[in-house]
Amino acid sequence: MVTTTQTSATPTWANVFSTAKGAIYQCDEERCWYVDFAGKVAKFDYRCLLKLKKAVYHVDIEDRLLNSGKDPDVEIIFICACDHCYVLSLLQIIALKEILEGTFVMLQLNNIIHDVLYRIAQYLD
Amino acid sequence: MRDLIRIKSLISTEVEALLNQQVKKEAYSSSAYLAMASWCNRNGFDYSAEYFFKQSEEEREHQLKFYKYILDMGGNAISPDVSGIKQEYNSFREVFEDALDQEISVTQSIKNIYARCLKEQDFVTNEFLNWFLKEQREEEYKARRALELFEVIGEEGTGRWEIDKHVGKIKYDSEA
Repeated sequence: MVTTTQTSATPTWANVFSTAKGAIYQCDEERCWYVDFAGKVAKFDYRCLLKLKKAVYHVDIEDRLLNSGKDPDVEIIFICACDHCYVLSLLQIIALKEILEGTFVMLQLNNIIHDVLYRIAQYLD
Repeated sequence: MRDLIRIKSLISTEVEALLNQQVKKEAYSSSAYLAMASWCNRNGFDYSAEYFFKQSEEEREHQLKFYKYILDMGGNAISPDVSGIKQEYNSFREVFEDALDQEISVTQSIKNIYARCLKEQDFVTNEFLNWFLKEQREEEYKARRALELFEVIGEEGTGRWEIDKHVGKIKYDSEA
């Protein structure tokens, strides 16, 4: 198995995906992700990141755009058992959705690379 | 960058979603069989009612198998909402026609999950699904055999009473 060791005491953040509006970083040491969006950097573990994705994907953007009601176009993204809460405009929701989509594509790509590399490494051992 | 998601879960989110869909399908089947048992009982087909009670129990076990597998693999198992169960049937035969349709649709959806897992090289889930593929052979055989009884016995005279009696004796014991 291929392993890499890090001697640095400070955790390193790897940029998973970023746009002009924000970014998501992965911290291997803490086994979590940092979401840099809407003026704050929030820490998410695996379960909470999935919940965030679900909450953001769940917003019906088209319905919101076509709805001529008087209520403000603001969504409160509240995640159960998670410290963070976002109050986002519709444009921010679209931006966050784009960041999350990109992030999960990159994480999936990372998974494929790991899967292939580990299998090849086992043949070489 | 480490593969953190893989550490937490063996199955992909796509496979997890498909398995949760299957949980719902099995729960629906279990409820549909209960409704069939009720209809048969109300109309005097006691052996068939008993047969459908057993089928309902089996579907519930299948549902739990999928449910626990999702959890064991690090996924999120979702307890399903089941609605739209057909409670009334026009004829004794229609009950068994619906039962076969239900089993065929379950087989198809398991095949879909299997195909997805092959694409992803998720051989672990494929191996888990093998048990269900074999189970579907039995389920479809029993449903098809029940319908066959309508052909070979016929519904005239005491036919339905005879069919009901034979439904209780349907067995599948192929070891192949």
